[in-house]
Formats: sequence, C-alpha cells, structure tokens
Amino acid sequence: MARLVAKAVSKTYGATKALRRGDLEVEAGEVHVLIGSNGSGKSTLCKIVAGSVRPDSGELLLDGKPVTINDPQEAKTYGIGIFYQELSLAAHRTVAENILLSNLPGGVFVDRKQLVATASRYIALFDGVTGEGFSAGATVEALRPDQRQLVEIMKALSTEAPILIFDEPTSALDRAQVDRFFDILRRLKAEGRSIVFISHRMDEIFALGDRVTVIRDGETVATKRIDETDAAEVIRLMVGGESAGMETAARAPAANKAAAQTVLSVGNLSGVGFHNVSFDLAAGEILGLGGLHGQGQSAVLRALFGASPPSSGSVSLKGEPLDANSPRATIKRGVAYVSGDRRRDGVIAGRPILENVTPIHALKQRLALAAPSSLRDRAKPALEALRTKFAGFGHPISSLSGGNQQKIVIARWLIDRPDVLLLDDPTKGIDLSAKTDLFQLIRKLAAEGMAIVLYSSEDAELLGNADRILVFNGGGVTRELTGADRTAFNLYQAAYEAA
Amino acid sequence: MSDIAIAPPKTAGHGLKRAIERFPFLPALLILVVLLVLNGLYQPRSVSLVGITGLVKTYLALMLLAVAQTYVVYAGDIDLSAGAIVSLVNVSIITAMDALGGGTSAVLLGLGLGLLVGLACGIVNGIVVAALRLQAIVATFATSIFFTGLALYVLPVAGTPAPTAFWRTYGGRILDIPFVMYAAVLLAVLLLVLARTQLTTRLLAVGDDQQAAYQSGLPVTRIRITGYALAGLFAALAAFCITGDTASGDPLVGGKMTLNSVAAVVLGGTALAGGFGTVTGSVIGALIIGLIGSLVFFVGTPSEWQNLVQGVAILVALMVGILVSRGARR
Repeated sequence: MARLVAKAVSKTYGATKALRRGDLEVEAGEVHVLIGSNGSGKSTLCKIVAGSVRPDSGELLLDGKPVTINDPQEAKTYGIGIFYQELSLAAHRTVAENILLSNLPGGVFVDRKQLVATASRYIALFDGVTGEGFSAGATVEALRPDQRQLVEIMKALSTEAPILIFDEPTSALDRAQVDRFFDILRRLKAEGRSIVFISHRMDEIFALGDRVTVIRDGETVATKRIDETDAAEVIRLMVGGESAGMETAARAPAANKAAAQTVLSVGNLSGVGFHNVSFDLAAGEILGLGGLHGQGQSAVLRALFGASPPSSGSVSLKGEPLDANSPRATIKRGVAYVSGDRRRDGVIAGRPILENVTPIHALKQRLALAAPSSLRDRAKPALEALRTKFAGFGHPISSLSGGNQQKIVIARWLIDRPDVLLLDDPTKGIDLSAKTDLFQLIRKLAAEGMAIVLYSSEDAELLGNADRILVFNGGGVTRELTGADRTAFNLYQAAYEAA
Repeated sequence: MSDIAIAPPKTAGHGLKRAIERFPFLPALLILVVLLVLNGLYQPRSVSLVGITGLVKTYLALMLLAVAQTYVVYAGDIDLSAGAIVSLVNVSIITAMDALGGGTSAVLLGLGLGLLVGLACGIVNGIVVAALRLQAIVATFATSIFFTGLALYVLPVAGTPAPTAFWRTYGGRILDIPFVMYAAVLLAVLLLVLARTQLTTRLLAVGDDQQAAYQSGLPVTRIRITGYALAGLFAALAAFCITGDTASGDPLVGGKMTLNSVAAVVLGGTALAGGFGTVTGSVIGALIIGLIGSLVFFVGTPSEWQNLVQGVAILVALMVGILVSRGARR
C-alpha cells in the first residue's frame, strides 16, 4: 500500500486554475521526483499535502486511510514535513530557533541549551559545507541565500516526519552542499522514509530518484520508474505528446530585421540577481527572455526600467546612453514596462479607469490640469486597440476582470508611443482570450516598429511570439535560440541544463 | 550558480553592527545618558536619588504601557486602545475599592479585578484583530472608543479618590527605599523572565513573517491573541501605577498615553513592522520621553513653547536613533 496518495486534487485561485487534477502516489522508502514546467502546479500540489493550501476537490490518503489536512500544524501530526521553495524562515531569529520554530524545546520557557544542542545535530549533518558565518546562534538575516536554503532543509529534516517534501531545495546550493544533501536523502530513504523531491535539474533527478511523476498544465500526465526512462522522454512528457518533436515557432522573423536600426543596446549589465547580460534590440523586434522562473529575467527588465538600478554595465537607447536610475527618468526617454504583478506594479486599485489609463500620459506631457473629456478622447484609441471591455471611464478598475485590468495598464503606455516596451511576464493570471488579444497587439506594435522585450513564464508564449529567445540560467544568458532552433524541446533543454 | 550566492564583502564597523543587532536599544541608551547629563547640568537635583525616584514614579506607568505595546508590536500588530484600557482599569479599581470600603482587602480585591479587566480588554482586541482579521490599527482604535465609553459609564466624572493605603504605599518607602524602586526592579525581573518564554520567540516569529510562521506550523491566530492579552495585563499594571501616582479615578487618564507608548517602542529600536526589538528598549524609550519633558521644563522654556520644543526634541531623538543604527549597519 502506498504511504501517501493524492487523488484528483484541484485548486483554483480566482480565474487561475493552479491545479486541475493532481495525482501522486508515494511509497515508503522511495525518492519520488515531481517535475513539470513553471506554473504547472507542482508547488500547489505539495502545499496541499502539507496543509498550507486547502484543495477545492480531491482526496488525500495516508496508508490507505482518507484524511483531511486543515493546516500545517495538522500535517505535522500526520507526519508530513515540507521544505518550502519560497522558504519559511523568520529573518531576525537565529538559525537554531528557525530550525525548531514550531517545536521549541522546553515548556513555558525555551530551553536554550537543549535548543542549541538539538539544532546542532541537524547543523552537523552539513558540517564542512555550511560556509562562513553559519552557526546555531547566527541570525538568518545575516546568511547568504544558499545558507538560508540549508536552514530550511534542516528545518524540514528536524520534523523527523516519515513523509518529507522538498520543493526545489537545491536552487541556490553549490555542488558540495548538494552532494551532502543527497547523501542525507539516501540515508533517510534507507530508513524507510518517503521523500517527494522537486527539481529542475535533470542530472539531480536521475542521480537521486526512484520514480518520477510529470505534471503538465495542472494535470498529472505520467509516473515512470527512473531506470526505465530518460531525460528526453521526461522532457517530451513535460512539453506534451503532440508537440514533442521539432515543431517550429509560429512566427518567422521578418526578412528586413537584420537591416533594422538598433534601438536598445545592453552591454555587460550586472545587478542584483543577474550578471553580464548583453544584447541588441532592433526596432520591430520581439526579444524573448526564457528559462526557469526567477533566473534573472525580471531583474534585468526592472533594471532597464530603472526600478532597481543596475550595478554595472551600459545601456543605450537609440544610440545615446540611458541612465536607468529611476522609472521617471526612463519613462521620459521612451521606455515602457508592464508587469504581470498588477497589484504591485500596475493597477491603482480603487481608482476609476480613467485615472488608471492616463498617469503616464500626464507624466510625459507634464499635464498639470486636464479636462476629463480630452483625456477620454486620448485614451479611447489605445483601449480600443486592445478590445478592452469596460462599462465607463468612471468605474473603479477593480470592477474589471484580471485580463481587462491588464489591458488598461498596457493601454496607459500606448497613448504616447514608447520606443521600447518591456513586458515582465505580462499574462500572469489572465484568461486565454485576453492573452490572445494581448499578443495580437504586441505583434502589431512590433510590426509598426516598436522594440519589445518579452519575458514569459509560459514557454508557449515565447515560442509563438519572440523572434529570438535568450535563455537565462542562474542570472546569466546561457543560450540564444534563433530561427529554426526556437523549439519547445530546445527551450526546455537549455532551461533545465545544470548551470 | 554559486557565483551569485556570494555575499557582499564585510565592511568596517562590524563589531558595532553586531552589538546593535544583539542589543537594538543601544542607540536609545546613548540618548538616555545624554538626556540624563543635560538634565543634571540644568538641574543638579534631578539626577539625585530623589530626582530619579520622582522620574520613575511619574513614568513607571508609561514604561509599563510601552512594554504592553511592545508585545503587540513584536507580532507586527499595534494596540491603539492601550491608553483606553488604562483608563478603564483605573476607574474600575477606584470604583471597586471605594465600594468595598477602602481597606487592605478592598485594595487587593480591586487590583485583582483590575488585572481581570485588563486581560479581558486584551482578549477582546486579540479576537477582533487576529480571529476576525480586522486591520489592527483601525480595530483597536474602535475598541479604544468602546473601552473609553465603558470607563465613562463606570465613572462619569473624574474625582473619586483612591484609598489612602493604596497611594501611600505607592508613594512611600519600605526599609527606607522608595516603593517604586521595588516595582522597577520587579518589572526588570519580570521582563527578563518573559524574554525567555516560548511566547516571546513565537510572537517575534509571527511578526517576522506571518505566512512563514503559519507554514511552519505555528498557531498564528492564538499567538497573536495571546500577545494582545499580555498587553492587556501590562496595561492594567500601568493603570495601577497611574492610580498610585494620581490617587484618584479619571475616565480619560490614559488617553494621551497611547501614542506615547508607540513612540517609546519606536525610540527603543523595535521595528513597527514586527519581528525585531526588545522590551528593554521600550522602557528606555519611555524614560527618554519623560526626560525630554522635564528637560524642556528645566531649561526654562516659556510655557507656550513647551509643546513645540518637546515635539522637536522627540523628532531629534528618533533621528539620532535611526542614524546611529543605520551607520552601524553599513
């Protein structure tokens, strides 16, 4: 009997189906790998098992018995421990306190001696690879990203749970740390524990796993024994059977691109989260940024926009250097930025549509006073180009669907045409028809000569729209895909290669 | 992969940075010492035993209320009803002691009742904020009006005197040492003990990152409610001190103290966002506010200028604190 079974589990957030049908079966004493592209629902499935997300439907069985897990506390009592991809650490607490946070030794008072002694047992597992400044008494805030990841690993291990879930535990670790961690996992497996392991690195998966379950678009598509499959088959399963081959991108680069004038030129740009990024962008070109989530793509776009200025490197716009030290400065030079994180970067919540569509126009034209009627006339064509559905300019933007909100945000940049449009995963959480409208417009803008940089966490969007794709890994560009090389297979392969 | 994980090189001032990380109240302590010296220069008697006793006697209530506020702020919440709880406890114990005849047993019963009232108010705040998930700043503002309303119902007009036994003890001496000094020492011990509890660590973990704490399996709602309950108890203790100092009941006595307590917490180096800070800092912060008040008086500021000067002085103290910690963190 399988120790843990998830049957047809689903979860919907608003308009987004995070998980349609998640199936997972984990035996005692196995390392079970969970793999799938960005946003396929792996993390959601793990969080459901760990009790921090409640499923809309579906069933969980532990040792054959159906259970309902209401919160992480309950998951613990059921013997489920988890490593969270986004980490669950308290930055100002010490390493020891974080490792044992929900299980501090002592009664009313914390037994400090016991705390350090117990935590040290888990720290000792990584003896020699923890790096400088790592100790039971160090505050997490002072640690490097790889060291924080180690703390989260120790925290998961300290639950001593029979079922351990690791959601991308190795993304910041170096080789020696990964090797040590894998030794520990093998030992736990030998003890009979069940381990669910998510990783994007093919080499790790084949070095460690017993079985692999592939999730695609929120659905479990297959479970295979590792020794009966290979990397190519796993990638084909992730990409989808019908498009597994060498299907070429929908869009062929226009013939005159080579002759087009360079609009944006980026040389050796470095900053927080990315390094030595260089590219030239021609008028009318759509440059795709690909790769796994969070490999520096957004950071580059935000740096170019001036939202978090780069530390070194050069940027020039239409031949003149661009000093990207504030969005205000770059906007005036003709840079536009649309983020998928509408609530943080786009929407002015609670304000009318008119106010949401005109702030950039007001900034660029230095408008101090304007009649609403004239603003409406300016805004209308931009909104119509996007087929935005809205009842009236006076309605609050929050009355619209996510897709239409995003259209309003994009329209705000189109009243006065920018030279460069930076798109930072612009379709996050919006519906299919809005996506279609959006990409139609993007292609039209490119055809009219706008230079566009598109980062998307959905590879299909890149393959269908970009003329060229720069694949990011670990903050740098590792591969450039052009022409017939722009295939789903190549994109996955480049993204999933060990850095 | 590994090259992006390398931390920026460590700079000078590392020792000071460490010290401030461990003892975030150090900048506040510096300001406190400077203020004591200034007070001593303008009014030598203010740094004598009598002067210090007077200072503690007057500001013990604010110290306690700042401590109350700190436990809530630890968890990333805030309590704008702290002062109203002080008022409600003040009028409750005065009324109860008066009704029970004002003897020793009446005083003790009254104090017990006061603790219960404070605890109940704290739990109400906790439920409203943590269980019903209302915004702490607005919800506790609303409960502050509610508590003030209750206080006005209990004692509509200020004036009922406290039993003589009560305020004589508070203002008097035992074995030739002022009573408030015992109280201050007791407070110090209590704070040391509380700092070692599970609760403090858990409150700070919740304030650090509520989502992370929840995902770690901490009972976040219960922890936040407990934080408010503890704040209610300390607000009751603050009310006892105020009652001992003023020796009478006043349904509006605590109102002005709420924002002073928040200011004391911030002056003491505790982050309003939660997750970081010390109660020691808040006690020092309360003393800073007190000393600024007396310094403004000793310097001989004309009465119509006192508020203005006091406000500017608190701003300066805040700025100095922030600049010192920032300088050290670089």
